[in-house]
Amino acid sequence: MREKEIDKLKDYKYGFTTDIENVRAPKGLNKEVIEYISKAKKEPNWMLDWRMKAFERLKILKEPNWQKPKYPKIDYQDIYYYSAPKSASEKPKSIDELDPKLLDTYKKLGIPLQEQQRLNGIAVDAVFDSVSVATTFKDKLNEVGVIFCPISEAIQKHPELVKKYLGSVIPLTDHYFATLNSAVFTDGSFVYIPPGVRCPMELSTYFRINASQTGQFERTLIIADKGSYVSYLEGCTAPMRDENQLHAANVELVALDNAEIKYSTVQNWYPGDENGKGGIYNFVTKRGLCKGINSKISWTQVETGSAITWKYPSCVLQGDNSIGEFYSIAITNNYQKADTGTKMIHLGKNTRSKIISKGISAGFSDMTYRGLVDISSKAKNSRNYTQCDSLLMGNKCGAHTVPYIKNKNPESNIAHEATTSKISEEQLHYCQQRGLNPEEAVGLIVNGFCKEVLQQLPMEFAVEAQKLVGISLEGSVG
Amino acid sequence: MLKIKNLKADIESKSILNNFNLEIKPGEVHAIMGPNGSGKSTLSNILSGKKGYDISGEILFENKNLFELETEERAHKGIFLAFQYPLEIPGVNTNIFLKTSLNAIRKARGEKELDAIEFLKLVKLKAKELKFDEEKLNRQLNVGFSGGEKKKNEILQMSILNPKLSILDETDSGLDIDALKIVADGVNSLRKKDNSFLIITHYQRLLDYIKPDYVHVLMKGKIIKSGGAELALELENKGYENFN
Amino acid sequence: MIEQLKIDFEKLIKNSNFSKKNVEIKRKSFHNFIEKGFPNRREENWKFSDLNQIISKNIKNLSFYNDLSKPNKIDQSIFIDGLEHNKLVFVNGRIEKIEFDYEEKNKIEILDDLVLEKSNDDNNSLLSLNNAFVSKYFKLIVKKNYSLQKPLVIYNITNKDLVSKSINLKVDIFLEENSSLKLVDFSDDKSNTNFINVNYSFDLQKYSILKNYKIDNNSNNNIKYYFNYISQEINSVSEIFLLSSGSEFIKNEINCNLRGKYSSAFVNGIFILNKKKHHEIKTNINHLVENTKSYQLIKGVLEDTSKAVYQGKIFVDSKAQRTNGYQLSKAILLNDNTEFNAKPELEIYADDVKCSHGSASGSLNEDSIFYLMSRGLNYNEAKKLLINGFLLDVVEKITDSEIKNLIKNIMSLKQ
Repeated sequence: MREKEIDKLKDYKYGFTTDIENVRAPKGLNKEVIEYISKAKKEPNWMLDWRMKAFERLKILKEPNWQKPKYPKIDYQDIYYYSAPKSASEKPKSIDELDPKLLDTYKKLGIPLQEQQRLNGIAVDAVFDSVSVATTFKDKLNEVGVIFCPISEAIQKHPELVKKYLGSVIPLTDHYFATLNSAVFTDGSFVYIPPGVRCPMELSTYFRINASQTGQFERTLIIADKGSYVSYLEGCTAPMRDENQLHAANVELVALDNAEIKYSTVQNWYPGDENGKGGIYNFVTKRGLCKGINSKISWTQVETGSAITWKYPSCVLQGDNSIGEFYSIAITNNYQKADTGTKMIHLGKNTRSKIISKGISAGFSDMTYRGLVDISSKAKNSRNYTQCDSLLMGNKCGAHTVPYIKNKNPESNIAHEATTSKISEEQLHYCQQRGLNPEEAVGLIVNGFCKEVLQQLPMEFAVEAQKLVGISLEGSVG
Repeated sequence: MLKIKNLKADIESKSILNNFNLEIKPGEVHAIMGPNGSGKSTLSNILSGKKGYDISGEILFENKNLFELETEERAHKGIFLAFQYPLEIPGVNTNIFLKTSLNAIRKARGEKELDAIEFLKLVKLKAKELKFDEEKLNRQLNVGFSGGEKKKNEILQMSILNPKLSILDETDSGLDIDALKIVADGVNSLRKKDNSFLIITHYQRLLDYIKPDYVHVLMKGKIIKSGGAELALELENKGYENFN
Repeated sequence: MIEQLKIDFEKLIKNSNFSKKNVEIKRKSFHNFIEKGFPNRREENWKFSDLNQIISKNIKNLSFYNDLSKPNKIDQSIFIDGLEHNKLVFVNGRIEKIEFDYEEKNKIEILDDLVLEKSNDDNNSLLSLNNAFVSKYFKLIVKKNYSLQKPLVIYNITNKDLVSKSINLKVDIFLEENSSLKLVDFSDDKSNTNFINVNYSFDLQKYSILKNYKIDNNSNNNIKYYFNYISQEINSVSEIFLLSSGSEFIKNEINCNLRGKYSSAFVNGIFILNKKKHHEIKTNINHLVENTKSYQLIKGVLEDTSKAVYQGKIFVDSKAQRTNGYQLSKAILLNDNTEFNAKPELEIYADDVKCSHGSASGSLNEDSIFYLMSRGLNYNEAKKLLINGFLLDVVEKITDSEIKNLIKNIMSLKQ
């Protein structure tokens, strides 16, 4: 009999910890901590006021509980809301001044920050716990007028843009986790693409949770002005720890007339061990507003990590002729749980949306696709196409498809298709007869199953994602 | 090369093969003919390592016990099965599948893996030989292929992987005469003194194009008669019913 | 409303002759209803149809006590013509006729003096309401190996005497081994603004067959809820067809449990809605053992400001390998203010299954209309032809040819 290669599973490649001295806010969620964060970020008063407004609102909100994966009650007073490497408390002027331990950490993660080793054609903003520690290629981007910097810097240097757009897509009153983020967010990326500019390189943020008992609450805001284009990538990892850590980010995208934003995520937060101990709670709010005519927002996500993933990258199609897309691969193994999908809200005329979701569950895991397509009565001549496919491996896991479809417009069409299947014994046998071992065979078949989504990723990410798809399912075939 | 001794195979306590014996030497072409339900496909399944059978007896491949090898390890050793019903694998590009499998086998044999350019050169050559439409190699594996195209794709894979023992499981069924010739040409071009073939078929017509050294008649899980190529014709004339 | 409920409930207990055990159960159910009230949109099941709001908007001074001491006249003209059938007739919630003229008497048993069971779903306040206020609870048993010669039509008739009342009916149908029943639910309402709450339970023993055709075609402004619980043993078959068209609001809920291997369930439904009608079909098909099969096809045509909702769920237990589950819903929206909402849901815990769902909604295909017009039809004729074709495909799923024709006539569909 073949031995299961369970051992490999323990091998979460990014599970190491960086031993670095931290500066932390006192534990707990209160006015003082929010003031501490605001002060640490040298924020103007209006920003602190905004945070306080969210905090007031938070007091009357309740955590939502309609999602399928339930989790033990989170003690919000037992979390550190701010943790930064001591060496980064005064942001170094250049990357050369950066703490070598941090440089080393990112190198180990495959994201070298130093000038000579940088990834070609990708500008990176590296966020470590609660602060952005480095942003590469800033000068080159400045030449074409693209602003790519930590959001804390944008608050100081570009207050007019931040004031105008922060919270314009996800209002600070939106829901519990979004409001919590609005009160305590620490860092994240800010992107502004000026009118008519096609961003010359991929922009990328790499999120790393390092400190224990710490939540990460990043905030990303991307604005594509008229006629501009940007492709943005997000990657994330965390050390292996027995505890569950909370990651509650907000991502807001705004596309003005004729602008296009492509947002890709490869999420590989620590998923917990094979018995379901530890791992990240990934409760993220991502929403894009197609504000202008002919604008387009496209979300692509590959979700393989986290103990619990709970997110719905959405598009509000406000501008006439605007387009929203959502391409997703979600893989759960062992005791992981995911409840993910999208919302496509059609408000403008001739709006189009497309949803391609591929869910794969193995082990004892549970996967839910949850999505909303809502075509309002004003969204004349709009279209949606949705395809949700699930693949199950074994009968200890679950796949759940919950689409909500609302059509209030007779000139619009919605089409939804869903299937559930498995990898058949025959397919496996066929591949094995051609010399592949069962895990290679599963990897190949699953990558075939996910092809339509993988194709959407930028080249640099697609290769990485394909490997990740294979690794995530290791140990799931007996 | 292949020695099968006293093979017995049951599925859900129903006997399929019983006291089955066969020996194939290097360079030989054997044909096994039998009616539906005689155990033909079970034989090819067992040789390729498909699970789900209760098996006793012995199968040696180059003096190694086949039962100790997983399906892919048998492939690495040079056993190739052209499936009766080639599987569709949605989303997987045919070229990529071929390259992955060729390199898996080369790796297991300690040979250098081919890079994309070397591989494409090889495929182009083989596809041309077999008159296989190259454009199809960029499509999803067997998805939307006609029955004949699927079978030709099996032969293409066979010629690229260059196995020692090729098992053709009813490769002729569903083929028109032109396709049948192409398949036969493919097989004949691989006939060398070290390569052996086991051709499993219902009808004699494929054997017009691939001349076997031996023909065996399989009935109710047992070989009831063996002979030369002329046995196939006799069988065709008499029919399975009256043959005994 | 709570005061009214309490008064009406005590009146019912006082004026009826319930057993002590039944009174006890009724009180429990009553309290459950008082606690929960009518369901509203905060409950997932009622997300698209807020019953609490619908009732308060449409029914003034709803009362729950219904005096059943005096018989009601039956308007014979309502009876279905040209179809020989057995009858169970309810008028204003009172049983007025039980007639099985076509059947062998010892093959059918009707019980009406039953002890209520605990409501089978404590979370469903409408079942609690039904349990609390139902006066007579019927059970029909079809004996082993017996197939009814003729269909049974259950008439649920209301007349002008009934205003702003809550009517609660409860009927259990038990099909013994290898028996079969064709059941037509036919409603006719000349009453105004009532809430009609019907609780059906179908128990299908092995090899039995149930065909249930529910026809709600005559326009009326009542609010209705039909709950259908189905339990199926080995090799049993259920076929449900719904024509959802007449009432102001109706929600048909079907909770089908495939407990025996090789059992299968078919649910086919049609919405034809106009004005401000709002109808819902909600299904829960639970595949609990291996080799079971379900098929659902729902289509709707919506006009004026009407709204249709389809919530269909297929659940596959980890034991239910080789399940086949299929679900498709389609709607045509004819006006600007119509709305079609769908929630086709799959919840699957076994890997060797084939399940799929599809949903589509939109306008009539203008190209097809143009094509037909180029062949000489006017716009309305072309439209009607296309709509008929769209719906016919559901009617064709009906396996009983006599009833298929009856339903075609009712819908005036041409072949």
